[in-house]
Amino acid sequence: MRQFQAAHLEVKKTFSEDFQTHPFEAGWASEAIFFVMVENVSGEGTRFEAEVEISHDGVHWTGEGSVLGPLEEKGLHFVRVSHFGNWLRLNCRISGNRPALQLLIQIALKE
Amino acid sequence: MSLFSDTLATSRFQPLSRILVCDVFSSGLNGWMSLMPNFTQAPNFDTRESVVVKHQWPPVMLSTATYRYPGTHGALSGAYSLKLSTRPVANRYEEMPAPGSLGHAIKRLSFHHLKRKRLQFEMWFAYTAEQDQVNGGYDLGGLSENSLRAFGVAFDLQEKGSRAFTGLRYVNSVNGQPHRKWQYIFPSEVSDAQWAYGTEGDWCKRGVDPLWYGRRYPDGRHDGFQYLPGGEQELCYNETDCKINWLYFRMLLDIENREYIELQAQDRIFDMGGLPIYSIPAYARIEGLLNPLIWVENDATRRVFFYVDSVMISQD
Repeated sequence: MRQFQAAHLEVKKTFSEDFQTHPFEAGWASEAIFFVMVENVSGEGTRFEAEVEISHDGVHWTGEGSVLGPLEEKGLHFVRVSHFGNWLRLNCRISGNRPALQLLIQIALKE
Repeated sequence: MSLFSDTLATSRFQPLSRILVCDVFSSGLNGWMSLMPNFTQAPNFDTRESVVVKHQWPPVMLSTATYRYPGTHGALSGAYSLKLSTRPVANRYEEMPAPGSLGHAIKRLSFHHLKRKRLQFEMWFAYTAEQDQVNGGYDLGGLSENSLRAFGVAFDLQEKGSRAFTGLRYVNSVNGQPHRKWQYIFPSEVSDAQWAYGTEGDWCKRGVDPLWYGRRYPDGRHDGFQYLPGGEQELCYNETDCKINWLYFRMLLDIENREYIELQAQDRIFDMGGLPIYSIPAYARIEGLLNPLIWVENDATRRVFFYVDSVMISQD
């Protein structure tokens, strides 16, 4: 039987500025999906995009190359990643005039 | 389980006759998960209003305990442990916990045998602070043991018509000053409103959820916990934040008489005989509930980590 874990990184939280998700250790898994559920959007020209980042220590981070978005609408979005070592996070950028997004972010890991 | 022979289990642990849980986290999460609020409200599975923000507690994960300089530490019983963590946010000790300044792990089961007198929780664990920044230019400015405020183990249980929170926490640091004392769960004589930081109408009752309710005082006291008499102890932390040592914890309870029996931490045994467990009138829908809980709290604006190699829960 394969191993699987889905874990929340953010739950129903409203964001207006750039942020990074909680550093997650995923060394046991060979594949991951970051799910981003946009539950509400407000502001003018509000845009969200996120880049997958990897790390050797959970403190220093560098872009892995996979990108989610940019997106502007409610709904479920995702980005896949594999061959990432141990540490994973999303570096999220928000732009627009008085932007606000209520987000549910989940990481799904499988081995 | 191939990871863990019977010989090893009974050498590292001291289980009572009926084993309920024997989880070795190198085999997976085994049903331990993050603690979340109840999503019960309209219109979109929202949560009840509460003075305590409960959705910022970070997720649990399977950790290799990998650090910048030594690389992977691994676990006591294999490569992986269950890791609890905090976000890099904290309030002062005497304030309400900042959202995300605690991390929890919970498993949810229920009593299955009427004949039960004693209940025991054992684990092998380690803890450390994130090596994210050096404080000042002084000697050992890169050692952050005092960034971890407390960790603890509890049971949330309801049986025979009443609910009880019972458990222990190690208060490691209070506003950056070493404290190093054990406290057990028992509420002070306060009202439900005082229990919820002076908030009228917060749905919690005195004695419930002492992990985040109950006023705290700058000398280390807490309305949800009492000091264990003689409960001073220096735990083995090692000399740098990227070296962790696995420690043993055991909590033995008399749930028939609702009393604590004893605590063991590393090789020291603390007699708790006669200390009472506080009971609360039963809540709806949860008769028979048996939820073990582990948590960690930071004492500085950095992440702290609590690793659990393995857990044994038993009863007789």
